[in-house]
Amino acid sequence: MMNCFEARQEFPALWRKTASVERRAELTAHLATCAKCDHAFRIFALTAPVLHSTNDYSADRAVANSGREFSTADRPRRFASAARAERTVPRWLAMSAAAVIFVLASSAAYISISAPGDSLTDALFAPDAGVNSESAADVFAPELPATENDLAS
Amino acid sequence: MLGLAARSRAGWRLTDKPDEELVAEILGGRPDSFTEIVARHRSRIERLCRRFFSDDEIVRDIGQESFIRAYSALASYRAEMPFGGWLRAIVVNLCYDELRRRRRRPEELVADFGAPEVQWMQLVNHASPEEIVGEAEQRRESYDLAHRLLDFLKPEDRMVMVLKESEDMSVSEIAATLGWTEAKVKIRAFRARQLLRKHAERLMAVGRSREQ
Repeated sequence: MMNCFEARQEFPALWRKTASVERRAELTAHLATCAKCDHAFRIFALTAPVLHSTNDYSADRAVANSGREFSTADRPRRFASAARAERTVPRWLAMSAAAVIFVLASSAAYISISAPGDSLTDALFAPDAGVNSESAADVFAPELPATENDLAS
Repeated sequence: MLGLAARSRAGWRLTDKPDEELVAEILGGRPDSFTEIVARHRSRIERLCRRFFSDDEIVRDIGQESFIRAYSALASYRAEMPFGGWLRAIVVNLCYDELRRRRRRPEELVADFGAPEVQWMQLVNHASPEEIVGEAEQRRESYDLAHRLLDFLKPEDRMVMVLKESEDMSVSEIAATLGWTEAKVKIRAFRARQLLRKHAERLMAVGRSREQ
């Protein structure tokens, strides 16, 4: 009869199907009677598909790539993905800089509209704005008659 | 004649020369011999990478990079040690670097637990051992979930687990491959087992809670 230590030693062989028929029968009989080993096997089964399996779970995808020949000139894509990962920080910085520029540009546009100065509102409602102001200020405007005598002459 | 017989018998195999002889040929100015080294070791290398990564693209890339590094460093290879072991050390170190670079966050374990994962957990909780073994081969989720569980381990712990459990390497061999002390390997192995047990228990509890 198999003891607990021996039973646990046989877990990989059971998983890989390399245990003999007798050994497998002994192990399953032990697991049926020993709750601790049964629990240990279930925990073992959670990592065994990676640690102990000989099965290729990606066989379907591997077949599609089987014709691909190895070449030292064939640059691994891992480098490309690594380069992408390395570019993450500069891209982040670039996006931040773009955001800052956008905010600054928006602020400048807002200030240029709302601040007093050369805006259209100021030009229309300034205190010295009037009908004659244009002629007074404009040196190229035609000179208007000032009195009746001027008109008669 | 013998060469032709060997070719027809093994299909992909061009010669029966030992690896060390092929390496000597490459160093002597016949780089074509490296093709056979790749053909011989490729599947074994990719299987080892699959113990660390579930993503096929990464597996292929690391496999290729391993051969590129091996080719570049071929002059430093000493025939006293088996070529397979030397190549494996290159792969293991590349996998270790990649694991450190892309370590997953532990909270991702059950966050996106779908129906296939729940079914697999129910099977692990209730089915007989032989049923579990049979079903695991058919279910890709068993493989993905095992990877998620192993992702909880620190890269150092995972290296030790894979090399010890999957590659059946001794503590001294692992220590030599990774350049660690044997004591460190033992401590890492102990911690890894403890942590895996803890998270596996948690995973099984999640499976039971989803049944209700």
